[in-house]
Amino acid sequence: MKKTYSGIEKKLSRWGWFFVAPSLFFFSLFSFYPILNAGFTSLFRKKILSLKPPTFIGLKNYIYLLQSDDFWNSIRATFVFTIGTFIPLLVFSLLLAVLILNIKKGKKFLQLAYYAPAVLSSVVAAVIWMSIFDPRGLGNQILNFLFNTPGIDHKWLADSTMVQLSTILVYFWKYIGYFVVIFIAGLAAIPGSLYEAATIDGAGKWQSFWRITFPLLKPTIILVSVMSMLQCLKTFSTQYLFVQSGSPQAPINVITLNIYNTGIRDHLIGRSSAMSIILFLIMLFFTWLQFKTSKADDVSY
Amino acid sequence: MTNTNLISRPGRIISPISLLIWIILTSALVFTLMPIVFMFSASMMPSKDILKMPFPWIPKEFHWQNFTKAIAGNDGSFIFIRNFSNSVIVSAVVTVTTVILSSMTGYGLAKFRFKGRNIVFLAIMATMMIPFEAIMIPLYLVATKLHLQNSYGGLIIPFLVNAFGVFMMRQYLLPFPDEFLDATRIDGAGELSIFWHIVLPNCAPAIATLSILTFRSQWDNLLWPLLVAQSEKMKTLPLYIVKFAAEKYTDEGAMMAVAVLGSIPMLILFFTMSRYFVSGASVFSSRKG
Amino acid sequence: MKKTLMIFLSLAVLALPLLAGGAQEEEGPITIKFWTHEDPNRTTIEERYIAEFEASHPGITIERVTNSSAKMPELLLTAFAANEGPHIFNTQIEDGYAYIANGRVAPIDPVIAGFKSNDELRDSYVKGVLDAVSEDGNIYGLPLELTNWAPYINKRIFRDAGLDPEKDYPRTWEDIVAVSEKIVKREGQIITRRGFDFRYPYYLVSVVPMVEQLGGKLISDDGKTAIVGDDAWLKLLQFMADWGPSGLNLGSPTYKNARKLFNADNNDMAMAMSGLYQEGRIRADNPEFYESGDWMVIPFPQFENAVKEVASAYYGHFYMVNSQKPEREQKAAWEFITYMLSHSEEYLTEVGLIQPTKKLMSSSTFASIPYADVFASDMEKGNIVYYAENSAKIQELIKEAIEGVMLSGISPEKALASLKVKAQEVLDQE
Repeated sequence: MKKTYSGIEKKLSRWGWFFVAPSLFFFSLFSFYPILNAGFTSLFRKKILSLKPPTFIGLKNYIYLLQSDDFWNSIRATFVFTIGTFIPLLVFSLLLAVLILNIKKGKKFLQLAYYAPAVLSSVVAAVIWMSIFDPRGLGNQILNFLFNTPGIDHKWLADSTMVQLSTILVYFWKYIGYFVVIFIAGLAAIPGSLYEAATIDGAGKWQSFWRITFPLLKPTIILVSVMSMLQCLKTFSTQYLFVQSGSPQAPINVITLNIYNTGIRDHLIGRSSAMSIILFLIMLFFTWLQFKTSKADDVSY
Repeated sequence: MTNTNLISRPGRIISPISLLIWIILTSALVFTLMPIVFMFSASMMPSKDILKMPFPWIPKEFHWQNFTKAIAGNDGSFIFIRNFSNSVIVSAVVTVTTVILSSMTGYGLAKFRFKGRNIVFLAIMATMMIPFEAIMIPLYLVATKLHLQNSYGGLIIPFLVNAFGVFMMRQYLLPFPDEFLDATRIDGAGELSIFWHIVLPNCAPAIATLSILTFRSQWDNLLWPLLVAQSEKMKTLPLYIVKFAAEKYTDEGAMMAVAVLGSIPMLILFFTMSRYFVSGASVFSSRKG
Repeated sequence: MKKTLMIFLSLAVLALPLLAGGAQEEEGPITIKFWTHEDPNRTTIEERYIAEFEASHPGITIERVTNSSAKMPELLLTAFAANEGPHIFNTQIEDGYAYIANGRVAPIDPVIAGFKSNDELRDSYVKGVLDAVSEDGNIYGLPLELTNWAPYINKRIFRDAGLDPEKDYPRTWEDIVAVSEKIVKREGQIITRRGFDFRYPYYLVSVVPMVEQLGGKLISDDGKTAIVGDDAWLKLLQFMADWGPSGLNLGSPTYKNARKLFNADNNDMAMAMSGLYQEGRIRADNPEFYESGDWMVIPFPQFENAVKEVASAYYGHFYMVNSQKPEREQKAAWEFITYMLSHSEEYLTEVGLIQPTKKLMSSSTFASIPYADVFASDMEKGNIVYYAENSAKIQELIKEAIEGVMLSGISPEKALASLKVKAQEVLDQE
């Protein structure tokens, strides 16, 4: 890359900068600077309201966090939520996408209907789900109707296992349609001739799914999982709202919620910045990992 | 499109498999739509009916007072209308700028070679990996230094472009044939004109998807407007909903009415533009990550 | 070309200080920013005070902004962290203490409020009210309200359960349990009519006093030990465990907020804990119920074997003034605050807020408010809520312990042990 540029290449590289520069300016101001600022702050003991200059303490915030049970619990909560959300999301959205493609009527309608929750705003979704999860709400009514167990309180928000499931359920509801639509597009892009060949070879339907569809869909799966995983790692509002409504905090004290409580409620902005940086590194690592595995066995059509 | 009947070809007779398929699809349908139907139905009821066990799905009569309360607001100031308009303005402007800036940047990163290109791309990607709660305070600092509080500028400028948009447009443009661009260059077309007349039109499906996603996320934005929009007149719809929920606390029905009013524009937009939602999704799948 | 990137970055960073505001104007019109939490009844009267104040003080504009009370603390913190706080704000004393401790708020000049000295100003309020906002002899806030809680009772539900509200109303926590058991209706495990329920996340105000009745303490007198008196704390935790879904199943934190249901008079909430301001809210939400007289307020219950009579703690919202604003703006801000607060009677009658000046408490207006006497006599038996920079964290730890025994089946002993360790750690960090 570092070889000599010809005239045209030089000109083109300038144009490259030209197209990138305006965004870069805004990113510098509204993203890079705040992130660097958070990284810098994480090296200090700093109270949010203090007018005194903060004390430089090096990596002590990080050391404190790595020894804190509370922080490890947050890491646990974040991973439970992330894995518990994005694996079912992948599996069910792929299943629904495959099934939708196998029906004759109503393909469009089902896609739209599944997608509809993603259109609602989070604030609205929260209002609705809080009503549903009330002990007298629809959640209990429906489960008790389905299992014929009148009068059981399933403790959607109260029980420490249930509350984790409930946060996952809200997220799952919101994003399932989104992934169904993406998978349908992905499936539709697979050339039909491949299946015909497979049928001639005598492959069964399941076989052709595992041998043809699945590998070809891999890029979509990777992309979808990177995106959904990043989203899940950043989840905040559902957990925040649940705790506000009386849920026990520890089971769903995800890292972002801990960042918020440490920084805003407890005023320890240095420590909360350190948490942010750790979360940042976690996300970076998993993104790198997923892209790496995706490159290792790239498929070509 | 192509033939993708993977499991069964539905025949005239309902086979057990297709019955199973329909059961699965229908229960998923009930699951996704039930909360939305609940919202609509509750918005038409007096509050005391909403807490009844079992929930009376069909309202006895249309309790229109919920909606008048929702629009008039806690203090009867009808600020709802202003807040609603703010949300429309902010979401619309942000959508337009995001589309333009993201396609420019995506194009620059995908189709030009320059030193530092990878660093720029990675740096932009990295911004997706930091939670908003972490940068809230420094970001507020920037906004106040630029005197952006309490203005449309404050609501809009920090979101003029976003990393996801750049990522999406770059991925979309990567497979775009270089030979084609070179040919037009040789024909004497200027870079701007290539971008405007050739690249942009070719991105239509990606742009449609990006617009919808951007509009939706702005319509949903709560935390930043909360910090930066300090006067009632500059607030956006999510802030209105949150405030309404906090204060009109006995009135569940009115609360649901606000929720309905806040959702209708998105639902309309979604159903009228649904074909872009669905077709635009191919952006994620026909190209490799 | 990497340089270009660096230039962009450094430009962005460098540009910030340069853009900082210029010199402060010494003369000319001023705009006072006033942030407060949303309360429709209060907005009406304060908007009027603003109009009157602006008319009599040309050149001063007041910009009043409201936000939900849950979001206000976060908003204020962010703004102050960026050194862009409003001129006037009000906050609960638990949050407000940090602003005083960090020098973010300016003391009042008693002359502005029409007093010769701070002592005289302090003396115009009920004894002790301004202690929480006093430091080094200065006064850093004036109360918008001072509130304590007591149970509101729906008489109709009492009668429906075969109880005479005037005679059978609960005096003790044991009564609360007994009465609730008579009132509660369930479908299976799900409660459809509750007798009483706590105001769950607010443990410092309403639950710590229960511990104090039993002889326990949140913080020792020397301020060095957290969670004092194991027996008292254990008894409280056991009481809460019995109350919850795995015990007698009389209530739980995840049911709809008791005081939100109370006003509807919908036969689903017999007793709810709230302040005097609830009367105004009943009147606004459900005038029929308010007029019916089918509700009443009773004193904060005591434990049967209480060693000390303690009522609910009282908490205050104090108006404060940003110390980073120019002096003349601070002065204008205090002038406006004292103008607002000169309408104590109207705050009481229109909004149900008590601004406990001696004058108000002995006025006929106060005496004519239904059940004001119940709140007033309870207030004498209560302490101010625990306030410190760590109070929110301490409350969170109590929440964890109580909800642990109520919902997660943790034993009171285990919950207490963990509460003690964690609370002590927080205290030691100061």
